[in-house]
Amino acid sequence: MNPKTLLLTSFTAGALLTGPALAEDKLNYFTWSGYELPVFHEAYTAAHPDALEVSVFGDDDDAFTKVKSGFRPDLAHPCYDKIARWNAEGLLQPIDTARIPNWDHIFPVFRNLPDIQAGDGKVWMVPWDWGNTSVLYRTDMVAPDADMSWNMLWDPQYAGRLATIDAVHDTPLVAAVLAGVNPFDMSESDLEKVADKLREQRPLLTTYTTDMTSVEQSLASGELVAAMTWNASAVALKAQDVPVEFMDPKEGMLTWTCGFVMLKDTPNTDLAYDFINSRLEASSGKHLIEDYGYGTSTDSAFAAVPAETLDELKLPADPQKMLETTIFTGPMKQNDALAKMFERIKAGG
Amino acid sequence: MQSRQVLTDGAGFRAAMSMPGVLVTFGLVLFALALVVVLAFRINDGALFVGPLSLSNMITIFSDGLYAKVMLRSLWISGLVTLATVITAYPVAWYLAFRAGKRRGLVLFLVTLPFWTSYLLRVFAWKVVLAYNGVLNSAMIALGIWDTPSTAFLNNPTAVVVTLAHAYAPFAILPIFVALQTIPPSLLEAASDLGASRAQSFRRIILPLSMPGVLGGALVVFVPTIGDYVTPAMLGGPSSTMIGNLIQAQFGKANDWPFGAALAVATMLVILIAVALVRQADRRWGSRT
Repeated sequence: MNPKTLLLTSFTAGALLTGPALAEDKLNYFTWSGYELPVFHEAYTAAHPDALEVSVFGDDDDAFTKVKSGFRPDLAHPCYDKIARWNAEGLLQPIDTARIPNWDHIFPVFRNLPDIQAGDGKVWMVPWDWGNTSVLYRTDMVAPDADMSWNMLWDPQYAGRLATIDAVHDTPLVAAVLAGVNPFDMSESDLEKVADKLREQRPLLTTYTTDMTSVEQSLASGELVAAMTWNASAVALKAQDVPVEFMDPKEGMLTWTCGFVMLKDTPNTDLAYDFINSRLEASSGKHLIEDYGYGTSTDSAFAAVPAETLDELKLPADPQKMLETTIFTGPMKQNDALAKMFERIKAGG
Repeated sequence: MQSRQVLTDGAGFRAAMSMPGVLVTFGLVLFALALVVVLAFRINDGALFVGPLSLSNMITIFSDGLYAKVMLRSLWISGLVTLATVITAYPVAWYLAFRAGKRRGLVLFLVTLPFWTSYLLRVFAWKVVLAYNGVLNSAMIALGIWDTPSTAFLNNPTAVVVTLAHAYAPFAILPIFVALQTIPPSLLEAASDLGASRAQSFRRIILPLSMPGVLGGALVVFVPTIGDYVTPAMLGGPSSTMIGNLIQAQFGKANDWPFGAALAVATMLVILIAVALVRQADRRWGSRT
């Protein structure tokens, strides 16, 4: 092998090894696991076959640190409460709503969210999905007179049969509500109250997790009596005829919304706009509603789903109505302090 | 003149041969380690390596009881893992060295078989065994030993110990096997000629001569299990959070890399002390002469 062939071979080998990273004609999309399914962007695939790379995460705080440390997708899918944080790190570029034909189908309540406004008809995030977080419980295993309250996840009679979500915007937020403090702006003494509430819960739990498949299996087997989950788990277990109910707690469910953000310096803006627009098609949203039980941000998708299905899923066709009774997961001012404190408590501190 | 030529040639060859090792050690290991150490003395101000140094992370680690508590828990769990691994590995290694005969190749193959699947799959396999509706509970109910499934097997430190002891078994079996294999048979023959019972020759000859293998195996199991984070995260439940989980959380959700680096440095110091203690033990009990 002469030096020239050697060089050539090693270059080829290198190119093969790093292939996906060098591909500039593919859109790299970083999303929650389960949200990468092709049914959500059929129009994009038809227009750009084989032009999508997907990586997934289980929690958008982890996603944030991964992007902060140098991972560069073109599009990512964090939730609304994190947008200010992504922006503070200068990771995002404004998205021009004029380039998204389906933008006008987005409910005003999402279009007008304060933290996404980038001025001049531009936004930091295009809202796509929304849903609820609540207690999913076994109707045959809880006490018949069980109080419909988040306190079920703090009830000592179910010790060792409870699980909760390992994310700052879920478990600590609920703990704050139960401790009677404002989750979105806390003083030092408020944080201490939340910490006490979380410490009270820890010995009762089997696990803090974002692995919803495991939680669903444990609820189905009867190992868990109740767990904090998102809508999709309720839909999945009911489809398997497991006797479960997604609670409507008296303190209110949590309602969240997530969407697409475009990373700074992406070379694939055209593909990114096509992708966002295809996800806002009515047919995509219909899949999200019917398969997962989540809401979409577009009125056109809701119009495509029969009213009975929406009733069954307890999804009002107008999200504004939902938000009247639930707690909207907005940005939490003390997110970092809360995250550190939550990690301490999980470790037994 | 002639001999000097040979000498320099030899030196050049040696330098060439050690180049890859030197590059890997300095470029990948020591450089990365230095970055971690520097990061450990930074504060979480957004910039990673530029800015003032501070002892605040170290002060937090040593003054806040939580970290000592989690560190002790990690030492306790991986100590149990090491004990369980060595105790179960010894008979296997003994069988391989003295009794396996023609089947030695087959047994060695079986010992290394778990490495054919990923570690994550082995963790999940244990989850299938230990779960509420898992293999163990189903078998016990079928045999009538208890009638409602027990939640006692999963989400506690025991599940972590069992899984890690299984995963690390080959790391203990192989060094003990090598140590046993190098015991000269003449010593055992001499012992039996002099009327020693089998128990006596085990206690006086085999066990002392295999100690280097036992200590080596114990170290190879103990050091990586202290920092393990996958197993406690998947099977341990809240009560088995180990130091690896805390470090991972600092680099993930808690978003405080300098503090995570400081925890990593503190863990390395603790492991260093453990290794020093084992070396001391090796000098005392492990030496062959």
